[in-house]
Amino acid sequence: MPSREEGSKAPPSAQDKGKAKVDDLADVTKEGEKSKDGKDAKADLPPEELSEEDQKLKEELEMLVERLLESDTSLYKPALEAIKTFIKTSTSSMTAVPKPLKFLRPHYEKLEAAYESWPEGEDKASLADMLSVLGMTYSDQNRHDTLKYRLLSPSKDIGSWGHEYMRHLALEIGDEQQLRLEDEKSTKGVEDLKQLALSLIPFFLKHNAEADAVDLLSELEMIDKISEFLDEDTYPRVCLYMVSMVALLPYPDNHEFLKTAYSIYRQYDQYTQALLLAIRLNDLDLIKQTFFDSTKDKTILRQMAFLLARERIQLALPEALTDDDSELQGCLDNSKQSEFFKYLAKELNILEPKTPEDIYKTHLENMRTAGLTNTDSARHNLSSSFVNAFVNYGFGDDKLMLVEDKASSWVWKTKDEGMLSTAASVGMLMAWDVEMGLDKIDPFTYADEDAVKCGALLATGILSSGVRNDAEPALALLGDAEKLHEGSPNQRVASIMGLGLAYAGSARDEVLEILLPVVMDKSQEMRVSAMAALSLGLVFVGTANSDVLGAIFETLIDEDRQRQLDDKWTRFMSLGLALLYFGQQEEVDVLVETLKAIDHPMAKATQVLAEACAWAGTGQVLNLQNFLHICNEHIDEDDDKATKKGDELLQAYAVLGLSLVAMGEDIGQEMILRQFGHLMHYGEANIRRAVPLAMGLISPSNPQMKVYDTLSRYSHDNDIDVAVNAIFAMGLLGAGTNNARLAQLLRQLASYYHRDANALFMVRIAQGLLHMGKGTLSVNPFNTDRAVLSRVGAAGLLTVLVALIDAKDFVLKDSHYMLYFLAAAMHPRWLITLDEDLQPLTVNVRVGQAVDTVGAAGRPKTITGWQTQSTPVLLSHGERAELEDEQYVPVSNTLEGLVILRKNPEWES
Amino acid sequence: MGANQSVPGGGPPGDGKDKKDAKKEKPKYEPPPQPTTRIGRRKRKQAGPNASAKLPTVYPSSRCKLKYLRMQRIHDHLLLEEEYVENQERMRKAKATATAAPASAGGDSDAMDRNADERGRVDDMRGSPMGVGTLEELIDDDHAIVSSATGPEYYVSIMSFVDKDLLEPGASILLHHKSVSVVGVLTDDADPSVSVMKLDKAPTESYADIGGLEAQIQEVREAVELPLLHPELYEEMGIKPPKGVILYGAPGTGKTLLAKAVANSTSATFLRIVGSELIQKYLGDGPRLVRQLFQVAAEHAPAIVFIDEIDAIGTKRYESTSGGEREVQRTMLELLNQLDGFDDRGDVKVIMATNKIETLDPALIRPGRIDRKILFENPDQTTKKKIFTLHTSKMSLSEDVDLDEFINQKDDLSGADIKAICSEAGLMALRERRMRVQMADFRAARERVLKTKSEGEPEGLYL
Repeated sequence: MPSREEGSKAPPSAQDKGKAKVDDLADVTKEGEKSKDGKDAKADLPPEELSEEDQKLKEELEMLVERLLESDTSLYKPALEAIKTFIKTSTSSMTAVPKPLKFLRPHYEKLEAAYESWPEGEDKASLADMLSVLGMTYSDQNRHDTLKYRLLSPSKDIGSWGHEYMRHLALEIGDEQQLRLEDEKSTKGVEDLKQLALSLIPFFLKHNAEADAVDLLSELEMIDKISEFLDEDTYPRVCLYMVSMVALLPYPDNHEFLKTAYSIYRQYDQYTQALLLAIRLNDLDLIKQTFFDSTKDKTILRQMAFLLARERIQLALPEALTDDDSELQGCLDNSKQSEFFKYLAKELNILEPKTPEDIYKTHLENMRTAGLTNTDSARHNLSSSFVNAFVNYGFGDDKLMLVEDKASSWVWKTKDEGMLSTAASVGMLMAWDVEMGLDKIDPFTYADEDAVKCGALLATGILSSGVRNDAEPALALLGDAEKLHEGSPNQRVASIMGLGLAYAGSARDEVLEILLPVVMDKSQEMRVSAMAALSLGLVFVGTANSDVLGAIFETLIDEDRQRQLDDKWTRFMSLGLALLYFGQQEEVDVLVETLKAIDHPMAKATQVLAEACAWAGTGQVLNLQNFLHICNEHIDEDDDKATKKGDELLQAYAVLGLSLVAMGEDIGQEMILRQFGHLMHYGEANIRRAVPLAMGLISPSNPQMKVYDTLSRYSHDNDIDVAVNAIFAMGLLGAGTNNARLAQLLRQLASYYHRDANALFMVRIAQGLLHMGKGTLSVNPFNTDRAVLSRVGAAGLLTVLVALIDAKDFVLKDSHYMLYFLAAAMHPRWLITLDEDLQPLTVNVRVGQAVDTVGAAGRPKTITGWQTQSTPVLLSHGERAELEDEQYVPVSNTLEGLVILRKNPEWES
Repeated sequence: MGANQSVPGGGPPGDGKDKKDAKKEKPKYEPPPQPTTRIGRRKRKQAGPNASAKLPTVYPSSRCKLKYLRMQRIHDHLLLEEEYVENQERMRKAKATATAAPASAGGDSDAMDRNADERGRVDDMRGSPMGVGTLEELIDDDHAIVSSATGPEYYVSIMSFVDKDLLEPGASILLHHKSVSVVGVLTDDADPSVSVMKLDKAPTESYADIGGLEAQIQEVREAVELPLLHPELYEEMGIKPPKGVILYGAPGTGKTLLAKAVANSTSATFLRIVGSELIQKYLGDGPRLVRQLFQVAAEHAPAIVFIDEIDAIGTKRYESTSGGEREVQRTMLELLNQLDGFDDRGDVKVIMATNKIETLDPALIRPGRIDRKILFENPDQTTKKKIFTLHTSKMSLSEDVDLDEFINQKDDLSGADIKAICSEAGLMALRERRMRVQMADFRAARERVLKTKSEGEPEGLYL
């Protein structure tokens, strides 16, 4: 019950609420200090009136303290015990200091003195025990009395002093350790602190305070010790907490956390979760170890294979495993992707192909402009073929390209490079279905026009993106040395792109052998070499493969190529280099240092790009700061042209880098949006052009109202390049969501820009993106509960965005086929449940908005606002699914993608 | 915010120009859909650039390192922003002075002059006097339909210097006296009668001035103050903090006093209203007042709303033919909705006080609206003593005063009665021009107070 002094104490200001932990922990102390202040202030008033019980308690305590101060040692023990009982039994309100502690405060110093004078012995230790508790209310800054006396008292049962005491102790341990580490003179180790800390952990874990346990251990830098204290009930919460901290920790700590969580999951046989962490660690050996050595269970192995296939990690299976389970290789190769996707389409009743007109819905556009547009221009047809490709992606059926009548095929309605892109769209339509797809592509390879042939090559590549076929048709068809070195430039580029897309993320040596000579060949024009470098970057994304690195680097410093470096295609060379270091974090410093040796404006831009890729998805603030510094400068007009171009590109990369680094971490993701506002306000044209793209990159397939509101404003910008990029970003934002609001905005833009061919083209593309796969696909590189960053996906997105930085030179000119790099990022946003024989199984699931339950009390719901649906279902960004009943047990921990279900042996309906 | 694209600094380079020209030739363009997103949303938080200016909320709410790290991350980002903006402003200034320097020596004062000059010109354009009207509808970026107080609605243009982010349907705006074009926005559109309720000066009564009532104080603080100060305590426990409390009990037991003490000690916005104030002359005014009250509270959150004498509007609903009765009931219905309706009120706590809890509508005091019912009883012996000492502590008493006599008597005294006795005794002493209050004064005062008290309630009438 609050007494008068507490009533009169100044209330903590409203801003205090939600202040960080330290303050809260010190609350008890503050409370104590305040009541002391109150007493001082009221010293002249008559002594405080206490109720009778209080008075009695006070007298009793005073009597006990007296006894302790007297010399009769025989009374010490009972007196101490009595005081302890008083302290332990006192219940108090949340706001006030327990009464016994309050009454004992005036005697604290006397007791301290008494402690010094007492002889060693059991009683002394017992007194220290009590003083430690009292110290909690009495500690001035940096006194750490609680800790001091705790260390002096060997008592085992410290948990009995209550939760608040334990927390206070943990806080002081952390402080003290900092002090001791800073104070170099002190010879005291921190060993005693560590021992004490370890004795606190079991208490925390037992009392549902796993956050405290992890915090304390991480403060003392011995997080790996936590696994010793865990059991079946506590490990999930501890791991969840640890994993969610990873994105906010500085470099070595985050790996330490992931590794510890990994070993805990391994310890408790959570193979799929362990595997996901291994993927996050980007450690191929660890992945192999998890996959090969952990379990013999066929079902779990298959599930893990699905997870690996989702991240496009290819492993060579040892024979022991393939012999056991012939299906396993198929799971790892994703060979059933097409089958499952069509099953999904059938269940959702969206098999019927859509025409571009179904997407544009021109009848809903403003009628004033209808009829003014030239609906049959080659360019318009080209945009239609892109839209058609995006919308019917992977369905294997459409109304433009795959028609019976060859002569009326849409290809002939486009011109030049347009034919290339149009022919290549067959690859998108037939995606994942390699065998059927090759049949459909076949006619185009015999066409007379070179562009159509090239398109067919590219289509072959796109077709096999994300799936692997034993026969390796892509390698055979595209890796043809003759075409790569003799064919027309377009043919070479198409083959190279195709290879890059087909084997993205696979790190296959065969591809290396084919493409490396192309990069090195000085006789090739820059476009071909650069594309080869980019394809290699995609194939070896995040591996830091030294061969590729060497080859690209050599090209960049080659004397003969110096003049070629000014070519607009050089940027893909540097992108290829950067992709190699994707997610490598601080390893990239070597590359950055080496690049400094190159004396060309391109080198600086490459550094930035490499840095952005290396730290992608980490949210590291230092990198963000670095990028902002780059954006700080305004480029002088009078610099020479090459340097200016390089610097402009540099800043544009820095803007993309902001987004790439900040993505994946919720807080940074939201905060960086504010930053974009400032960049838009102060930046020069080159920065302003990159900002919408960066906004698209930060939340692909996640149409957040506040983002597309801003983008829709930018889409009317005076600078048409900004507007075009904003339109594309809107498409990216809604990719595969069918978002009605965005669709309406885009329709308005279509009529607004009906005279501007470039902008209109982009509007159409954006509309196609929005309805990608009829609303079944996502390009968000984060998957599996937004925890894992798909490197291939992010690389694909980044490639398209780099091409769009100067949209007029690439996508809007003749290199629109660059848009097909999106195929690397496209993946169904599905949940398909399979039985143990990998046949689709229909069960009821609840789908709802995911809730961040880390650190919440009790067993909170993990989803909110759910609907019950039967699988297969689509999951939007930020949604999560859970099984409705317990008839089946999922093998994978996150219900996303392909999930195998097992019958629950304990289930009774 | 950088969202404002009309800033000339970020203008397009050369080739943007011809595009602009090309655009001008086009027929009247379809307006950007921006205004439509705002229509109907009175809350500014939701839409537009303001939404991106809001800081993300931080989970978990329990105290732990994760929360600390997340808040630190926000902090880091804000520092980055600050650094960038500062740098840019500096560069912009440097550039401005560099270009202005050749023209005139005193660049700085010149710029100041120009600013003042521009402001003056804007004031000229606004003209004076200005009319006050309401924005009915935004048509496009620079046109709107407005209505003035006199009645007719106009289709007018919006001056370019008006901050468009503040414009929203229903906002009060300044109109040019001739052209009726929008020249400014009046931001604070809450009813003045509501802002009056906001407590500017804290009452002097603090918790220390309450004798006894320890349990009640603790309950109120737990339910009202703690959730505002330490919401994480509740979340850690896994419970929702109480939304409000009702104080009830016999007259004179200190309900309002306690509310005053809460107002005195809290730094949250404290709004107070008396139930009878909510009964208004015109239909719909009462409910509107309730709505506005809670809107103001939400805007100033964290806030505490104190409604005294809630029985004025909160009586049980019954079939009634009188329009007045029905209006009162509708006011209560609005109150019910505000207390626990569709919209989450957030950091708004409600304290109600009544001495007739049994007449209140059960819906009003159900858990979820009012989570805690706190009973105020007449003081017991010890509390009586405390109250006596409180009231007599500033009086000059003569030696012979022994308050224990009154305390030990088994009268049914409330806190207010005791206060009355004390002041009555003081008055008696004053009548006889004595400097000190004597025991006899107290005795006489007690007699008088008890007599008037029993007169008020006819004894045994309903036995």
